[in-house]
Amino acid sequence: MLEDKLLVIKCRRGDKEAMCRLYEKYKDYLLTLARGLVDEQAEAEDLVHDAFVAFARRARQFELTGSLKGYLATSVVNGARDRMRAAARWAKAPAPGNPLATRPNDPEQCAAEAEDITRLRQALRQIPYEQREAVLLHIRGGMKFRQMAKVQGVSVSTIHARYRYGLDKLRSLLNSEVEK
Amino acid sequence: MRPAEEIKKLIENLSDTTSPRMDRRVREDMLHALAESEATPTLAWSNIRRQIMKNPITKLAAAAVIITAVGLSIAVIDKVTSPAYALEQTVEALRNVRFLHVIGRDDQGRIKDERWIEIGMDGFQVRYRQDSPPNPFAIEDGESTAVYRHNKQAVIIYDRKDVQYQWVGELGKALENLRQQGKILKENDIYKGQGAHRVWWPYMSAECYVDPQTKLPIAIGDTELSYEEPPAGTFDIVIPEGYVAVDKRPGAPAGSVPDWLLEEESIQQKAADCFRQATHALARGDYSEAAELFEFVTQHQSGRNWAWFWLGSAYYGQGQYELAIEKFTKVLEIFKAYGGGGEKPLNYCNYARGLAYARLGMNEAAQADLQASLPSMILTLRTPSGGKMFEYADNPLMRYGKYDPSERQMVVNMINRLRTVTGQSFGYDPAATGQENEAAISAWERWSKDSGRVKFTPDAERVLLPESPE
Repeated sequence: MLEDKLLVIKCRRGDKEAMCRLYEKYKDYLLTLARGLVDEQAEAEDLVHDAFVAFARRARQFELTGSLKGYLATSVVNGARDRMRAAARWAKAPAPGNPLATRPNDPEQCAAEAEDITRLRQALRQIPYEQREAVLLHIRGGMKFRQMAKVQGVSVSTIHARYRYGLDKLRSLLNSEVEK
Repeated sequence: MRPAEEIKKLIENLSDTTSPRMDRRVREDMLHALAESEATPTLAWSNIRRQIMKNPITKLAAAAVIITAVGLSIAVIDKVTSPAYALEQTVEALRNVRFLHVIGRDDQGRIKDERWIEIGMDGFQVRYRQDSPPNPFAIEDGESTAVYRHNKQAVIIYDRKDVQYQWVGELGKALENLRQQGKILKENDIYKGQGAHRVWWPYMSAECYVDPQTKLPIAIGDTELSYEEPPAGTFDIVIPEGYVAVDKRPGAPAGSVPDWLLEEESIQQKAADCFRQATHALARGDYSEAAELFEFVTQHQSGRNWAWFWLGSAYYGQGQYELAIEKFTKVLEIFKAYGGGGEKPLNYCNYARGLAYARLGMNEAAQADLQASLPSMILTLRTPSGGKMFEYADNPLMRYGKYDPSERQMVVNMINRLRTVTGQSFGYDPAATGQENEAAISAWERWSKDSGRVKFTPDAERVLLPESPE
């Protein structure tokens, strides 16, 4: 936290090293979050890219009021939402079928990931976006429900319900795969 | 079974690493952005601005300058540009909608039908609430659907996958339809005292009014639309005091479903089966069987307006016009009571009842009904999708996608209906091009505007759609 404050002050002065240090510190965390939210690797990379570039543009006026990690995570989440809106809203319903039969991943990537993680990623894509966001932000993003409610623009109890439903659905999806 | 803790651990272990290629790209762009922000020292400027603005006189002066500038720019925009409205703007505006508040009113302005819909990022309904009698009061919280049965003091909870309510079918389809087939009828029209663009939306079979500022529809037919966030708790399933909850979700304890519900469900299932059989019987002209089956449906599902309508059609087909009139009237009553229709005609139904009156020689009643449906019939000649509900009424197989008339077919069918109720023909030739038929269509429109007196002509010559070449 203190380190982040110092880095932000340096960034305000245009310190390139501080900027790079921030990137190193949060790049993998943000990419993991982004990969959970959107389907494509390239799209996730774009989200992280845009979050850092937007931060750099604002760095000179930037006032750190909360956690920088939370700020950057929110930036990625907002980006993901914008993309979802632009690309998929009001789209045609996906054909019903095996809930885990999703689009194939890059084979190399699949091989590299543990089987459980691959199945988890596939299951994450099957649950409604709002629930996915709630589960990821809380568990992987370490965000509090109150912060998440602010990001999603809904009440804390709604976020709580989305989180619970999301987790239940993941359980049932992963279990149905195991028990087939 | 995987416990939740195990899944949480799995999520915590999700880990992605950026590639060197991505690192290069982000660093480059990020440092470039940082350097660019250096070239425009915003911080210094904003500090100076803050100092100046602390002076109250400066504030007033600045405000005056801003107001004048805004006023001037509005005046200039008003005079110089006249931004045209395009349907695409409404489609785009609707893409960003998160909540829909749908309200239908009766002729006294009281709310008769209210629905709240939350739309997810993927464009599908996430949560929903309807209070629209005679439909059951229902709430979907995203996972479960609760149906409130006030007469039994019970709330039946289903898995959302098993029972779902909707305001319209596929929203995506509705939007695409607006984009491709919608028609701007009049820009800067008036809706309830406020400026609005009037648009024909075929999917909704209705005219809608679009707010010129937000480009969002504020009304579709008689239904009002707004987009505010609902009050907290709108989508929460709450069991009222004294009510029992009947859990029908998978995994619920067995034996918890009361007998009345089991019996009701069995009858409802039978009614649904009868409805399907009846529509097919009607489509193949087996009126007697259709009538018998629709009688059963209306007996157990009395709010089902299409069952009443097609029951009327089945009696009409058998020449039992009094019974047909009775059933068509029932549809109009349902429409008036729950559809927010007020005194507006339900075109296809007024048309059907008008024919039945005419068959009985009740000319005055026939005249009133047919006259009421005439404007929408004439409209179809230029906006073929306006005839969709007439087609649906005439052929229930449309419901199952087994009948899908082309625009040309809809126009030809409407010409035939018009010939039957007016005795006029105006030389419309279905084999001719639209341009060649322009004279006939204009003549219909002129006739409708000038005299437009209906005249039942059951033996009017019918036009046929020429077969398309192989």
